[in-house]
Amino acid sequence: MKRKLIILLLIWVMFIFQSAVFSRLEFLAATPNLLLILTVSVGFMQGKTEGLMTGFVSGLLIDLFYGDLFGFYALLYLLSGYFSGRFSQIYFDEDVKIPLILVALSDIGCGFVIYVFRFLLRGRLDLTGYISAVILPEMVSTVLFTIVLYRLFYRINHSLLEKEKKGRHSLWIRD
Amino acid sequence: MGSFRKGSEMKKKLEFGDKGRNLLVVMIIICIGLMFLTMTTDRVPATIRSAAGTVVTPFQKGVNEIGKWFSAQISGFQDVQKLSEENQALREEIDELTLKNNELVQNQSELTRLQELYNVDKKYSEYPKVAAEVISKDPGNWYSSFVVNRGTKDGIAVNMNVLGRGGLIGIVTDVGEGWAQVRSIIDDESNVSGMAVNTSEPCVVTGSLLQMDSGKIFFSGLRDSDNEVTEGTSIVTSNISDKYLTGLLIGYVSEISLDANNLTKSGTIIPAADFRNLREVLIITELKSTKEEKD
Repeated sequence: MKRKLIILLLIWVMFIFQSAVFSRLEFLAATPNLLLILTVSVGFMQGKTEGLMTGFVSGLLIDLFYGDLFGFYALLYLLSGYFSGRFSQIYFDEDVKIPLILVALSDIGCGFVIYVFRFLLRGRLDLTGYISAVILPEMVSTVLFTIVLYRLFYRINHSLLEKEKKGRHSLWIRD
Repeated sequence: MGSFRKGSEMKKKLEFGDKGRNLLVVMIIICIGLMFLTMTTDRVPATIRSAAGTVVTPFQKGVNEIGKWFSAQISGFQDVQKLSEENQALREEIDELTLKNNELVQNQSELTRLQELYNVDKKYSEYPKVAAEVISKDPGNWYSSFVVNRGTKDGIAVNMNVLGRGGLIGIVTDVGEGWAQVRSIIDDESNVSGMAVNTSEPCVVTGSLLQMDSGKIFFSGLRDSDNEVTEGTSIVTSNISDKYLTGLLIGYVSEISLDANNLTKSGTIIPAADFRNLREVLIITELKSTKEEKD
């Protein structure tokens, strides 16, 4: 329960920072996708179900405020969370390499799907243009932010685990 | 050891893997259902949106202050900050004057003509306006919409026009009690019907994501058989638009070429408004539809 509340709080904070701070810093070439970093990290650290739900809530928040098609971002983020959750078997320490790769792949995947459904279908055919103007810059800036944020999420996860361990035999700990 | 591990993994898959997959399928169906629902009923239920908006926007407003502080820090040290404040004030003045000057130049040559043709009885400085502050922007990199801190309680409604430094910024697409969402004219999905100020021929002005870095937007479908429209000609909002008030400055033609059909011309426009560092905007609290009714 506590874990869920903390994840909800994190989604909230990430959304507000992404939309009100980072999207407005002019020196960033692209806005980092903080919600995707959170979704992928939770999925990687805690498993498919948690990643999926985190992604769903994050995406829904974007849909609520900035989406035209309610449920579109929710679906994208949910799939990202589930995808990274499949790799939770190999999660064991603070190593940032695997989450970096997962974030990069998810971000490119999301970007590609957005391009196909929201741009290509409107007759915008210049795929390479969109890759170099939007998808790649966003991927780079998201990956850079992952290096910092993953550590933070890892610490939070770890301290929660410690507390749960102390309290009772935890369901969250995988053998 | 290896086979033991495999065995326990398989067991886990039987117990939990299916649960995860079932949940995945259910959630995918929910999302697709939601998409269909919004496709058929037009938009997200306004009540949900505005409820969520009232919960989120105060936080965004607060964090926005932090963002401003960051920008201020980045723009320099303490003395430099003072200078930048002064610079800000001066720039605002310049913008105001540019706006006025634009109006004057436009008016001098075109006022009588436009007045005769379109019954424009007001300059756009005379429209009732509300100043608003930008509190957040689209969190992704694909769209250029933003949220401002004024809403229904300040008299804002959907389809109201938004002005910025120098010219037209966009249009209100969604509104809540204390916030409004604005889609800017440089957004890839934005379509504005405009006209060349000297010939009054209509054209369509569209935003483009790929041109965003160069700061340009496209126009197309302009009839100009006498070659009167050249680089630097002002493009303003057209009288035939049902959402945009007539005569708001969109920008200046920067490139123009004849289309393959030999009838119409298209090209690029440099928007008159400054879309970088968008902080404050003005919302015209008069809708075109109600204005026409009044007239």
